[in-house]
Amino acid sequence: MAEQKKTVKFIIERQDSPTSKPYTQEFEIPYRPALNVVASLMEIQKNPVTTSGERVAPVTWECNCLEKVCGACMMVINGRARQACCALIDELEQPIRLQPARTFPVIRDLLIDRSVMFESLKRVQAWVEIDGTWEVKDAPIQNPYTATTAYEISHCMTCGCCLEACPNVGPQSDFIGASPTVQAYLFNLHPLGKFDKEKRLNALMGKGGITSCGNSQNCVEVCPKNIKLTTYLAQLNRDVNKQALKNMFNK
Amino acid sequence: MINTTFYLRRLHSLCGLVLLGGVLIEHLLTNATALGGPEVFNAGLEAMEQIPKPIFLAIEVCLYAVPILFHAIYGVYIALQAKNNQGNYGYNKNWKFTLQRWTAWYLVAFLIWHVGYLRIFLKGINGVPISYELVLSVVSNPIVWVLYVVGMFAAIFHFCNGITTFCMTWGIAKGPRSQSVVDKMAMGLCAAMCLVTLAFMGSYLA
Repeated sequence: MAEQKKTVKFIIERQDSPTSKPYTQEFEIPYRPALNVVASLMEIQKNPVTTSGERVAPVTWECNCLEKVCGACMMVINGRARQACCALIDELEQPIRLQPARTFPVIRDLLIDRSVMFESLKRVQAWVEIDGTWEVKDAPIQNPYTATTAYEISHCMTCGCCLEACPNVGPQSDFIGASPTVQAYLFNLHPLGKFDKEKRLNALMGKGGITSCGNSQNCVEVCPKNIKLTTYLAQLNRDVNKQALKNMFNK
Repeated sequence: MINTTFYLRRLHSLCGLVLLGGVLIEHLLTNATALGGPEVFNAGLEAMEQIPKPIFLAIEVCLYAVPILFHAIYGVYIALQAKNNQGNYGYNKNWKFTLQRWTAWYLVAFLIWHVGYLRIFLKGINGVPISYELVLSVVSNPIVWVLYVVGMFAAIFHFCNGITTFCMTWGIAKGPRSQSVVDKMAMGLCAAMCLVTLAFMGSYLA
């Protein structure tokens, strides 16, 4: 009796254009040790034939660094948002279901448009002003303990897992999500960035800001960089409350 | 910048915990006196009736009706902004997030019935005073009894889980350890309040 060749089964949700209807297709590829989802998609790309033998257009997705640093390959794998590059086949239940993160507009297949997060980062002023009337000499001293926290938050790669997993982010709501919100805290910690702390906090108090958080805490569970998002959200809640008191009584 | 959303959300949180929490505890304590028998329960209600009518009505409107209406209407708006996803993300906190919204929907329907029938129809329009006998006649129907127990449980869970989320929303419990301690204490309180409810609701069955 010939030994049956080990294979990996995929059910992939596909969509031809931003407005067309999604449909699913099944693929089966040969198994090899240490295979991950991105490598499997590359395998399908080489020979895009479904299990029913139909030759189809190769599956479109996005990936870049292949080491969980860039955030580009975020997709919904077996129902949960995560990076495809570090999703090992050995650790996944088969058939493996791949879906685009529908919190974002789908461009094609698993490729999504994440520009909404960039808009949110602009809204909360997630940068440090360096151009001004002052003289820039040496870099300002930063408390090393604060720097440790800032380093942790700076790992955020805007992959969008926290937005996809959040029940309060999506077309039904205007919440900007955990990632851009917590970036505001990162820049509030910076020795120069903290000059604009009030601006950022006031931006977070607006519609779709931090008050739209419903404390489901899915963000901290799914964050691939293990950023303590809920801790910083609670800190920002403290900060915006203080800012609200200032807004009320200092004017 | 006015930031209406911010103040409405914070008011929703504060009003739910302080005012509606107070209403719930008041109901629980008053109803628990039913365990002492009809005389004790009725004596308590009569003592409450000693409060002059205009003051009593003002309390009902300002501390009960207005906060409940605001919390319910704005709460429906908040609940509609969520797409519950405990199916794919079955974490403990996410289940509580979903339950917070499910209990809210039940409570909207339950309170329309409860307040509409007991306070507005029976007491307000027909002038029937609330008494042990009246409550007994209402809950003697087993379906009504179950709907009332579920209503109380829903309100208790919504309030106790609200304590936990309040502590996050106001930045009181920041780290995971303190949030987990608050959560456990709130769930302990939830269990205790549910037991008290079962005790006095059970006494009507005997």
